[in-house]
Amino acid sequence: MLRYIMRRILIMIPTLVIASMLIFTVMQLPPSDYFETYVAELQAQGERADTSKIDFLRKEYGFDKPVVERYFLWVAGFVKGDFGYSFEYELPVRDIVGERLSLTMLVSFCTIIMTWLIAFPIGIYSATHQYSWGDYGLTFLGLIGIAIPHFLLALVFMYFANVWFGISIGGLMDPIYFNQPMSWAKLNSILAHLWIPVIIIGAGGTGKMIRRIRANLLDELQKQYVVTAKAKGLSPGRTLVKYPLRMSLNFFISDIGDILPAIVSGAELTAVVLSLQTTGPLLLRALQSQDMYLAGSFLLFLACLTVIGVLISDIALGFLDPRIRLSGGSTK
Amino acid sequence: MTSLLRSLLFLCLSCLLAAQASAAELERESAILTALVKIGKLPPLEERVPKKPRVIDLPAMGRTPGKYGGTMRMLMGDQRDIRMMTIYGYARLVVFDDKGELKPDILESFDVRDGRIFTLKIRPGHKWSDGHPFTAEDFRYFWEDVANNTRLNPAGPPLSMMAAEKPPKFEIIDELTVRYIWDAPNPAFLPSLAGAQSTDIAMPAHYLKQFHEKYADPKQLAALVKAARFKDWGALHERKSRHYRPENPDLPVLDPWRNTTAPPAELYVFERNPYYHRVDNEGRQLPYVDRVTLSMGSTSLVPAKVGAGESDLQARYIRFDNYTFLKESQKREGYTVRLWTRGEGAWVALLPNLNTRDPVWRDLLRDARFRRALSVGINRRDINQAIFYGLGQPSANTVIPGSPFYKPELQNAWAQCDPVLANKLLDEIGLTKRDSEGYRLLPDGRRAELTIDASGEFTEETDVLELISYQWAKIGIRMFARSSQRDVFRRRALAGQTVMSIWVGMDNGTPGPDNEPNDLAPSHYQQYQWPLWGQYVQTAGQQGEKPETKEVLELVDLLGRWRSSATVEERADIWRKMLDIQADQAFTIGIVNRTSQPVVVSGRLRNVPDKAIYSFEPGAFFGSQLPETFWFDDVRSN
Repeated sequence: MLRYIMRRILIMIPTLVIASMLIFTVMQLPPSDYFETYVAELQAQGERADTSKIDFLRKEYGFDKPVVERYFLWVAGFVKGDFGYSFEYELPVRDIVGERLSLTMLVSFCTIIMTWLIAFPIGIYSATHQYSWGDYGLTFLGLIGIAIPHFLLALVFMYFANVWFGISIGGLMDPIYFNQPMSWAKLNSILAHLWIPVIIIGAGGTGKMIRRIRANLLDELQKQYVVTAKAKGLSPGRTLVKYPLRMSLNFFISDIGDILPAIVSGAELTAVVLSLQTTGPLLLRALQSQDMYLAGSFLLFLACLTVIGVLISDIALGFLDPRIRLSGGSTK
Repeated sequence: MTSLLRSLLFLCLSCLLAAQASAAELERESAILTALVKIGKLPPLEERVPKKPRVIDLPAMGRTPGKYGGTMRMLMGDQRDIRMMTIYGYARLVVFDDKGELKPDILESFDVRDGRIFTLKIRPGHKWSDGHPFTAEDFRYFWEDVANNTRLNPAGPPLSMMAAEKPPKFEIIDELTVRYIWDAPNPAFLPSLAGAQSTDIAMPAHYLKQFHEKYADPKQLAALVKAARFKDWGALHERKSRHYRPENPDLPVLDPWRNTTAPPAELYVFERNPYYHRVDNEGRQLPYVDRVTLSMGSTSLVPAKVGAGESDLQARYIRFDNYTFLKESQKREGYTVRLWTRGEGAWVALLPNLNTRDPVWRDLLRDARFRRALSVGINRRDINQAIFYGLGQPSANTVIPGSPFYKPELQNAWAQCDPVLANKLLDEIGLTKRDSEGYRLLPDGRRAELTIDASGEFTEETDVLELISYQWAKIGIRMFARSSQRDVFRRRALAGQTVMSIWVGMDNGTPGPDNEPNDLAPSHYQQYQWPLWGQYVQTAGQQGEKPETKEVLELVDLLGRWRSSATVEERADIWRKMLDIQADQAFTIGIVNRTSQPVVVSGRLRNVPDKAIYSFEPGAFFGSQLPETFWFDDVRSN
């Protein structure tokens, strides 16, 4: 097992190098750069930017250097924990992301927990009571969650939250708590706002999860060993938890690989619609304005998390299911 | 007994009187400042405002003297939007007044001789927001140590400080007077100081010297650069000194409110400047409102948030199509929605690209008859009714009432709907052949299919184009609209790939003679009707293409003459000539102007005018309406 883990970690390095190259290439692809976007934005409002000033800024940020050199500067900085410089904020990327990261993790963590808490009981119930009214009803609800676009749900929720409960529109807290240190009042305000994004982002995930638990569990429930266990007089509840449920969890464990990046990036679109102070809108905005170091560092960071997440889920799978072999080759 | 009563009465009376007297005194400045004065953190009011402050005559403006205090909340889209406060504040060395004339604001007075010798006089006793005197040294610092420093400004001083490509001679007359002397007249100088995006020619030297290589202790400076993680002192100085986007809370300013929040932040708080130089006619220091907050969020949510009463004064990110929604909840949330008039020459205009790469189209578009035919082939009245509810004005892209140059002939030039005339003109050019569907054929046999590029940001643009395409079908021109993204749109135009685009018309629809007429002639590469010609003029012939058409050459010549004119009369004359040429030639095809801009104003906020012109230039959006005179009727701490 240890050798396996070591090898996996070594493989991660070239994976990340390739990912970083891809990210950098994609960031370079558009014909214009941040400064041109900026000029265009100013101009749309009647403002003008001095062309010589723009050239000056380009030089200032090293845009006159060859692409390869800039790539190496960026990656080298990344390794040292310097994620580059955001043109739009004119601040180091680290300073911008840091603040938002904790709120993002809070939202994502709550969402994931909620998804699990709802999806597991419903999924198990649906599978064990297949084709019952309860199964149909709950499945229907789940499907609605998948079917309604998040942003639409977000708009509707926001409207009613404001009209009925007087919660300020969008955001994760009332504007008066911005920039303020954490306090009970601020925490209260966050909690009052938190349920909206959690429900919205969770709705789709819950529906999908219900379907998958149900399908996987149904597969297992038909199997011989379940019948045997039941025939030998094991109680239905224990049978279910001890064997088929455990077997059907494979998909759940392999999902862990996706959970890590999801925790920091979250549901971007919903976050934009809800104007959350999370990292999602930041990334989207950076991509739009070609704030390339901010966007690039963010994407690379997500790539790292994905790789780590996949490693964790692989290791966990190895423990969960002895049938999964460590090496793909023939072992006979 | 009576004596006791009497003394008691006397005591009460004197208490009352004292209270009244202090109330009257309190009224002269905000309570938060009085408190600071009391504990000795601030000098008294007399020492804070200049000896001769700028007096704003409220009754003459139809406004009322206000109460101090309160927080004005506004919503913004992203971090860079904090520059709106510099724009809204509109405290400039000189400003445009409501007649379009230049008036001193931060300066006490200015004097111009022969259009080339400018003497600027500072108000005695004027101070930066940190209390340090504002003097000629601040002008010298900018001119010698910033504008002419090769590290900070490798391209040299700002363009508006160059006349006939030469910089001025700078002189300090005395502590409060400076003089700039050019060899040739420089009419662009003062207007650039008064612009919404003004050229700053004075910087707080006492503060900035600590970041300047020439003055700072090298060790300390190196430590500062390192701590802020900058490349060198130049980058540090650039960041710390930026006034237009006021990110540095420590930077002393002369604006009504100053930023107190360091980025990145979700909420920026602008506090009142205790040394502000404007007072009302009773000598009470402005601004009335203590604090302005800008909260950042996604722009698409702004109308919804405003509808939920989360802004006290908002026009940015609100468009006419939000009007009905905003109106609906105005009672519940206690605000009013006013409709101001947009100040552009045309809210949307078609810009035929005279530099387009397609030779057939280029020849056609350069033919004035073709442009006129397209223009009279549009039914502006219908468009105005259908899309702007009849609230705009059908017009060519030209000046609007409020400008001294406005005349109905300019508005109506080639702006009538006359398909017969359009067809006649097109036949005259020789586009007589038609295909089976009735569309005209180009000289090379292609069908006359015109693609109009749009930036894809306003739904109004595409709606307008939809209507125009029906109308042009009647004159045998097939039209398609292509929305892209602003960047792509801009690049395509520059590369000559667009044949025609749709964009906003003249930025400044209410110009006076002192506004530079650069919208009317090729002057910039971002003019989509002649990007390459504009680039040629802008770079003095180094890039782009030389303008060709006779009328365009005349416009270039006129612009050059404006830039070297010495008198206002001459400048006004040039403006009129250029406007006439533009109207006759239809270089840009305006559709409507004076459309409505909703402005949401809290029900508690006073002195905000019901009607005004909303524009970046010259109005600085709210700036020319003097937001420091706005006040809250019922001040509550929020």
